[in-house]
Amino acid sequence: MGASAALDYDAELMLRVKDGDGISFALLLNKYRASIIHFLYRMVQDRAISEELAQEVFLRVYRSRETYEPTAKFTTWLFRIATHLALNWLRDGRNERKQERLDETNEDAPARELADRAPSVEQQMVRQVKVLEVRRAVAALPDKQRAAVLMHKYEEMEYSQIAKVLSCSESAVKSLLFRAYETLRGRLAHMA
Amino acid sequence: MNCPIKTQENREWLLDYAAGHLAEEQAVVVKAHVETCHECARFVEAQQLVWNALSQWEPEGITDDFDRRLYRTIEDAKPFSWINRIFGPLQPVLWRPAFPLIAACLMIVAGVLLHTPQLPVTPLDSQARVEKIEPDQVERSLDDMQMLRELDLKPQPEVPKTM
Repeated sequence: MGASAALDYDAELMLRVKDGDGISFALLLNKYRASIIHFLYRMVQDRAISEELAQEVFLRVYRSRETYEPTAKFTTWLFRIATHLALNWLRDGRNERKQERLDETNEDAPARELADRAPSVEQQMVRQVKVLEVRRAVAALPDKQRAAVLMHKYEEMEYSQIAKVLSCSESAVKSLLFRAYETLRGRLAHMA
Repeated sequence: MNCPIKTQENREWLLDYAAGHLAEEQAVVVKAHVETCHECARFVEAQQLVWNALSQWEPEGITDDFDRRLYRTIEDAKPFSWINRIFGPLQPVLWRPAFPLIAACLMIVAGVLLHTPQLPVTPLDSQARVEKIEPDQVERSLDDMQMLRELDLKPQPEVPKTM
């Protein structure tokens, strides 16, 4: 019921954008900005590129306002655009330096505020190593499997919605996810 | 329930059970099965490890000017109106204080043009005047020539010679 109400509200906002309401666009941007950037960041694993792609996602949403029809859930439409752009970017081979960047320390990342219980240097290093392992394992997945895992894990999307985003059947998504998690279980088993 | 791994039925239930996303009704069934099936228990344990490892991967922060850049891109992408196309390059010159002055000048010029008396001259009138004047001139010229001829023909009075 909650999801249905959310669907109606987002679609309604988009229909208002269609009528020229800029505030509704700002509301949608505010609501989905972080989700889209984080999803794209985990897909391409580059902060600058993920923001660049996210800009393109919201630009396309804005440009499509006049032809928008609420035939699908708004988030499905939004993530379909984002996934399409990310897969294209990965396919175009613009990720040549991606693997190199994974090995670099992330200098452009903002310093995290850890004022309350600041972990020791050793704990921080252990954590960084673990995250690097996870990033490498995810980066090694085939693009479509990676997109499916990210939507399933971080966006908590249902199989049917992931299927619509990836334009495939629900059973195909389940197979994709099963294979992807199988690979991840093999790669991350040593982290136990 | 049948073993999801052996029968391939509802395999996703194991994934969702490990993630804690399975509906309560189904979760009870899977839990009962996992307690008796060593293979599924191992699967769930390994999947939970992956799930927790993925949770450690926090996303990067978002730059502060993301929205500003987006709105600027949207603004740049908007098509120009024909007024902008024409006067766009002149915008630095056409600054606002000049507008009243330009408007006043235009009004004065318009006023002068509207109040200047002008006789309408049609092409037919000018042609008619030419036609009317031309025979008179010819007639006068002929009269003059006749008079000159007569003067030439008249005998000159003899002038007495004085010694």
